[in-house]
Amino acid sequence: MIRAVDGHSDGSGAAAVGTSAKATPESLRVRVLRQDSPGRESYWECHVIPYEPNMNVISILQKIAARSTTEDGRKVAPVAWDCNCLEEVCGSCTMLVNGRTRMACTALVDRLVEEQPEEIVLEPMSKFPVVRDLMVDRRRVFHSLGRVKAWVPIDGSYDQGPGPRISPEEQEDAYPLSTCISCGCCMEACPQFTKVEVQRMEGESVEAFEARRTAAFDKNFLGAHAISQAMLFNSHPTGKMIADERLEALTDRGGIQMCGNAQNCVAVCPKSIPLTRSIARAGRAATLWAIRRFFDR
Amino acid sequence: MSASSQSANADQPSFLERNQFLIYRLFSLAGLVPVGAFLVVHLLTNASVLGGPEVFQSRVDMIHSLGPLLPVVEWAFIFLPMIFHAAVGMAIIAGGLPNVGSYPYSGNIRYTLQRVTGMIAFAFILWHIWQLHAMGKPLGGGAFDPHHAASTASAALRPMAVAVLYAIGVLSAVYHLSNGLWSLGVTWGIWTSPAAMRRASWLSVAVGVALGAAGLGGLAGMRMVDVDEARAVEGRMAEARELLEGKVAPQAADASGVSDPAH
Ligand code: HEM
Ligand code: SF4
Ligand code: SF4
Ligand code: FES
Repeated sequence: MIRAVDGHSDGSGAAAVGTSAKATPESLRVRVLRQDSPGRESYWECHVIPYEPNMNVISILQKIAARSTTEDGRKVAPVAWDCNCLEEVCGSCTMLVNGRTRMACTALVDRLVEEQPEEIVLEPMSKFPVVRDLMVDRRRVFHSLGRVKAWVPIDGSYDQGPGPRISPEEQEDAYPLSTCISCGCCMEACPQFTKVEVQRMEGESVEAFEARRTAAFDKNFLGAHAISQAMLFNSHPTGKMIADERLEALTDRGGIQMCGNAQNCVAVCPKSIPLTRSIARAGRAATLWAIRRFFDR
Repeated sequence: MSASSQSANADQPSFLERNQFLIYRLFSLAGLVPVGAFLVVHLLTNASVLGGPEVFQSRVDMIHSLGPLLPVVEWAFIFLPMIFHAAVGMAIIAGGLPNVGSYPYSGNIRYTLQRVTGMIAFAFILWHIWQLHAMGKPLGGGAFDPHHAASTASAALRPMAVAVLYAIGVLSAVYHLSNGLWSLGVTWGIWTSPAAMRRASWLSVAVGVALGAAGLGGLAGMRMVDVDEARAVEGRMAEARELLEGKVAPQAADASGVSDPAH
C-alpha cells in the first residue's frame, strides 16, 4: 500500500499522514556509495532521476544504469547491483537503503520519500566484502549454513522409505524458520557480527587462499540465520539424526556464545523469522548438550 | 584480514578459542553468582543504614566477624570472579560493533547500555575500592573503618561531587545486573518465546527498580547520618563487642559508661 505522498489525492488523507502537495517529488536524488573493485577505496556519487509512482529501489537502479550520468553531468560506468527474483525470495538484493539493511526489491520509493524526502542513500552491506558498487560477496552466509549442517542427511544409494510424519503443530513451528532467504540482513545488523575480508596475496595459490578464507570464516560468528537453521533441522524427525553434530558446531568457536542478545536480527529480518526464539532455544540446547557431553565422555 | 595467518594449518585454535563457549557461559554465570548476588547483598547491607547507624554497624560486624577469613572470602567470591567477568566483558566489548545510530531498536539500546554500564561500573568499582576498602590505604584511600561503619562512610560520601558519582556508579551497576538478568535468561534459554521475553523484561525492570531504590536509599541514608552521634553509637558498640569477646576487663567498660546507654 502506498500512502498519499501524492498531494493530488484526497486532501484529508494527505493531511492525516502529514504530507503536503510539495512532497510529491518530480525527481529523486540518489546518493550511491561506489567501489570499483575489491579492496579499492569507496566513493560517493549522486544521481538524479525522474520520479515515477510505485518505484522500488531496483527500478531506481535500472534508471541510474540507463542514464549512467551523475548529478553534475559526468558520464560514468553503470552502478552495479545484484537482484534476481524481485519478490523477496532469492535474497540477492540486500543493501543498505538510507543506512539500514533491507531488500532493494521491496524497498518502495514512496515510503522512502515519506521518511526522508531529501535523498535516497544506497550503500553496499558493510559486513561483507564488496565485489563492485552495491554487489557484495555473501559466501559467508552459505559457509555458516555448511558449518551447522543445515540440511536433512538423506544421501544414499538405496530407497530409505517414506519419511516420518510431522504433526501440524510441528509444521507450524518449523515453517517460519524454513522461509529464510539467506539474504544476510540479520548478520549485517548484528553488532556482534563483524566483517571478514580475506584478500589473495601475491603469488598465493587459489587453494591456499581459499583455505585461509575458510579458516577465517570458521572462527568468526555464525550469524543468526545459521543458528535458526540449526534449530529448524534439529526439530525435523530425520534432520535430528545429526542433532549432536549441529550442537557441536553451535558451541564451537564463533558459535552461539557470540550472540549478545541485541535482537537486531529479528527486527530486520525481511521474512520476520522468529530468530531470537531460535537463538534462545539453541542456547538452551547448547547448554544441556555441553553438560551432557561433559558427563558422558 | 591481516597476513598473520600464512597458511590454514599454522592457524591452530588457541586455548581460549577452543573453550570459547565454556568461557562465555562461565562469564555469564559469574555475572549472576557470585558477582550479581554480592551486589544485591552489598546494596541491601548499605540500605540498612536507613534503620540507623547501629543497624548498619551490626550488619558490618556480622561480615567482619569472619576475621582473617574475610579477605579469603572476598577474593574467592567477589574479586576474582569480578576480575574474570570484567576481563571477558572487556574482550566482548572490544569485539562488538555497536550500531544504535542505524538501528535504534529497544533491544539494541539495551545491548549498548549493557556495555556502557559495564564500563562505568568497572571504573566506579576501582575508584570505590580505592576510596573505601582497606586495600586502598597504602594509596591514600581506604577511608572506611569497619568499627565506625556509618560515621566513616558518611564522612567519605559527604561531598556533593562524590555523591553524584556514586549515584551514577550504583545505578550503572544496578542497570547492568538487572538487564543482564534478562540477557542471561536468553543466553541460557530460560525464556525462549517473544512473549516470555517480554514478561522477563518486567521481571528485570522490577529487580532494577528495587535494587536502584536500595542503592540510592543507602547512599542518601549514609549522607544523612549525624557523624558525631554515629561515632558515639559505634564507640559503645565496639566496647560492647570487646567486652563480649573478653578483650577488656569489665570495670574498664563500666567506667566508660557502656552500662548507661541513655547518654
Ligand atoms: C557490578 C558488577 C557486575 C555485575 C553484577 C555484572 C553482571 C552481569 C550479568 C548478570 C550479565 C549477563 C550475562 C549474560 O548475558 O549472559 C552481564 C553481562 C555483561 N557484563 Fe557484567 N557485571 C558486572 C560488571 C561488569 C564489568 C566491570 C564489565 C566490563 C566492563 C562487564 C561487562 C559485561 C558485558 C560486556 C556483558 C554482556 C555480555 C553479552 O551480552 O554478551 N560487567 N554482567
Ligand atoms: S534469517 Fe532472515 S535476515 Fe537472516 S538471512 Fe534469513 S531471511 Fe535473511
Ligand atoms: S540477537 Fe544475537 S544474533 Fe541477533 S543481532 Fe543480536 S547479537 Fe546478533
Ligand atoms: S531480488 Fe530477490 S530478494 Fe530482492
